[in-house]
Amino acid sequence: MSSLSRIWVLARNTYREAVRDKLLYNLLLFAALMIASSILLAQIQIGKDERIYRDIGLSSIAFFGVLIAIFVGINLVYREISTKTVYTMLSKPVHRWEFILGKYFGLLSLLAVEVAIMSACFLGVLVWKGSEFSIGLVWAIGMIYLELALVTAIAMFFSSFTSPYLAGMFTVALWIVGHLLADLRAFGKTSDIAGLRELLEALYWTLPNLDRLDFKADASAGNPIELARAGMAALYALLYSFTLMAGAIVLFQRRDFR
Amino acid sequence: MSAIRTRGLRKTFRTGFWMRPVEAVVDVDLDVKAGEIFGFIGPNGAGKTTTIKVLTGLVLPTAGQAWVNEIQVSDPNSRARLGFLPEGTFFHDYLSATEFLDFHGALLGIPKEVRRARIPKLLERVGLSGAADRQIRRYSKGMRQRAGLAQALVGDPDIVILDEPMSGLDPIGRKDIRDIILALRDEGKTVFFSSHILEDAEVICDQVAIILSGRIVKQGYLDELLGQEVVGSELVVESISESLHAELQRASRRAVVQGSRFLFEFAGESDGEKALDRVRASGGRVRSFVPRRKSLEDLLLEGLQQEKNR
Repeated sequence: MSSLSRIWVLARNTYREAVRDKLLYNLLLFAALMIASSILLAQIQIGKDERIYRDIGLSSIAFFGVLIAIFVGINLVYREISTKTVYTMLSKPVHRWEFILGKYFGLLSLLAVEVAIMSACFLGVLVWKGSEFSIGLVWAIGMIYLELALVTAIAMFFSSFTSPYLAGMFTVALWIVGHLLADLRAFGKTSDIAGLRELLEALYWTLPNLDRLDFKADASAGNPIELARAGMAALYALLYSFTLMAGAIVLFQRRDFR
Repeated sequence: MSAIRTRGLRKTFRTGFWMRPVEAVVDVDLDVKAGEIFGFIGPNGAGKTTTIKVLTGLVLPTAGQAWVNEIQVSDPNSRARLGFLPEGTFFHDYLSATEFLDFHGALLGIPKEVRRARIPKLLERVGLSGAADRQIRRYSKGMRQRAGLAQALVGDPDIVILDEPMSGLDPIGRKDIRDIILALRDEGKTVFFSSHILEDAEVICDQVAIILSGRIVKQGYLDELLGQEVVGSELVVESISESLHAELQRASRRAVVQGSRFLFEFAGESDGEKALDRVRASGGRVRSFVPRRKSLEDLLLEGLQQEKNR
């Protein structure tokens, strides 16, 4: 049996486990309500209806997607260890890296379904209100998905060596900082404090720069998306996720399951 | 051919804030022959589960080597023909027994058609046919243990490792598990199981190893380890005089009053026979007289004494 088949079996089971979790449906319901609420909000702000539908729709997809990625991601491996269900899986001819990748791809499949459902709600609102659906929106949603893949990799990296509580805190912190890196860098350039400029510059280049993946504003305003920029951003997200998953695998490889 | 072999196996855990080293397993050498039932005996915390976790790839050894099916345990292929029931029945309880077995069968690379045919038979074998589609979270402990055993057998393994398979089961459940272990040997499989329940091990094992404080203190075939030597005897009598009772009490290792009956335990066979003659001569009634061979419990106690003296 190939590694690919085992990863597929593990991913399928991870997906099945996650879809049987009620938390997921609650988050999905909230996301749908949030997207639908854009109709009410648009009535308050006269003249910018379309922009509001798009802003709220895209932001809801991103925000609830990140919530799911973090909540499920930090528990994914930890729960298998704490409930000792990992014993029957790793005592099979399964490599530990296959196990980690199986969990990761299982969650990515779940997130793909989530994003598809939320996008369908979003599309429903746009169609109902007769708003235009541009290709830029598709790009923005695709980039949201890549951001979720990266956030999941961050959550899994931290959860491979620490508790879900700490892993959650670190992931949320990185997600927030990841969206502020450009601002922090700009602030560093204007600062007179010794070493701060270099420190913020180093953080800008080492921490995950999630702003690179943010195409929501352009898509919402109807601006054209540059393919080269989008391609580089996608490559960046994939390479960063790959590096984090490699780190998670190295840490998991050395663990004892006592 | 050895089904399971270890040489100088050692595992040291680091615990607490200061990462104090704790030796869980020390220089363990095991030889489990193919087709045998091997009992791994010891009290709780002796190192049984840690050794098993090294064999199943869940814990990395600090030193030494281990092989399953002549393949080093660091290679996941050593687990291709291995079935494992961990201690404590911790399974994916959101799955039904059928889904649970299907998942583990798929992980082993068993084709779908084979799984479809095999799983109902396995569930019947472990007595879960009636609850095949019920979620495991709704199972009793005994049923979970049976589901776990079916999981260990889903790949039709050559070697089955069972960690405390009888723990927490009622007498019927224990007997069922014993019968399955015996049947597995009849099918030519090797069964390696850990237990702190000595009676179970004594009834079904070919070979045993006794582990205490992480070290193997005895290992071998039960007949060789226990021998034929009588190490004591037990006499149950009634209708004896008070003076004879006092006399037998002094001569015996242990005396127990059971209603109108008296039980005396003697250190050797001859002491028991002398007491038997005294009861008969005094007109007392003999209910039973049983010479006692060395048991696993005696071996364990001997081992504990050796450990204390070490």
